[in-house]
Amino acid sequence: MKAPAKAKEARGLLRLLDFMPLIFAFGFLVPVIAQGMERLGWERPLGTTPLVFALLVGGGWGLVAQIRGRWI
Amino acid sequence: MTASPLDVSTLSKPELMKLERDIARRHSGQFPWEILLWAFGNMALWLSLWPLVIFGYLPLWAAFPIATVSIMLVYLPTHEAQHDIIARPGTRWRWLNELVGHATSWMIVSPFAVLRFTHLEHHKHANDPALDPDHTTHADSAWHAVRKIIRESQPDGQRSRDYAACLARGNRKDLMLQSMGFKMTYFAILFALAWSGLALEAFFLWWLPLQIGLVYVALYLSWAPHHPAKETGRYRDTRSFRSRLGNIGSMGMQFHIVHHLHPYIPLTRTPAAYWEMRPILEARGCNIHEL
Repeated sequence: MKAPAKAKEARGLLRLLDFMPLIFAFGFLVPVIAQGMERLGWERPLGTTPLVFALLVGGGWGLVAQIRGRWI
Repeated sequence: MTASPLDVSTLSKPELMKLERDIARRHSGQFPWEILLWAFGNMALWLSLWPLVIFGYLPLWAAFPIATVSIMLVYLPTHEAQHDIIARPGTRWRWLNELVGHATSWMIVSPFAVLRFTHLEHHKHANDPALDPDHTTHADSAWHAVRKIIRESQPDGQRSRDYAACLARGNRKDLMLQSMGFKMTYFAILFALAWSGLALEAFFLWWLPLQIGLVYVALYLSWAPHHPAKETGRYRDTRSFRSRLGNIGSMGMQFHIVHHLHPYIPLTRTPAAYWEMRPILEARGCNIHEL
């Protein structure tokens, strides 16, 4: 691979890393919460499905982490 | 165990150095077969947890603590390989040294080459706030260190910046790319598992054990042996200490001072080397009063 292409690839990766809290939230945290609720038999929290609830909680947490720069 | 009766009070500094090196040589050079068993046995154990849990032979709650201990145990064999302890460059078993490093470090989502480079920089610059990549672990107490390690590992934390700066100083952009590649691959695997219905397995077998393991390793390999981390220099940047978890519970780090002085001594030999060297270390003014 030529040097400029490599540098472009690195910049792309770095830009992606900037959004890791949001990506992590929707890629991992949401299914962890949803499947955790299903495993615990907590089916309809606040009248929603586990996935919708997980999207709200996990996505919201990810958004806060993205803005604040920290999860806890 | 008590200190060796060796009387060094009349020896000059060059004589102390010669004696120290003689002891170090006596405890080095042996093939560390225990480390090979540790590295590959531990990896096999961790990998076996996945089918055992997925196919219902082992409950996830039982696999989680095993996975956590297993992930905690990954670092030290790679650490031995980082220091060429399994085999020096140019020797017959050199490939095995590199294999141990590369074959196991992926479990802690760090390329072996990055671990080696940054760790050797830590040895060169231990406790230097500007140049020691592990300096973020330094804290007033163990609990403060745990909080700080967690804090500095957050997205806006200093730890990954210090590691990136260390690689940049060494002009190792290739290692930065490797590091990013490992992280991207790790997250891609986690996401794929999670959206395939194995989110809890991925969480309790890899993600959470890794978070706990990294805090444990940073606490015992970085904070404890360098505390209070206010001085630099061969005999002042590391100490011996007494761990509440004992020598095994602290992964042999009570004797880390010997490792910093003579990094080619295998981990399993550092306690014996320490007790032999102790009078010399005392004469050198090392911080060894706890042990």
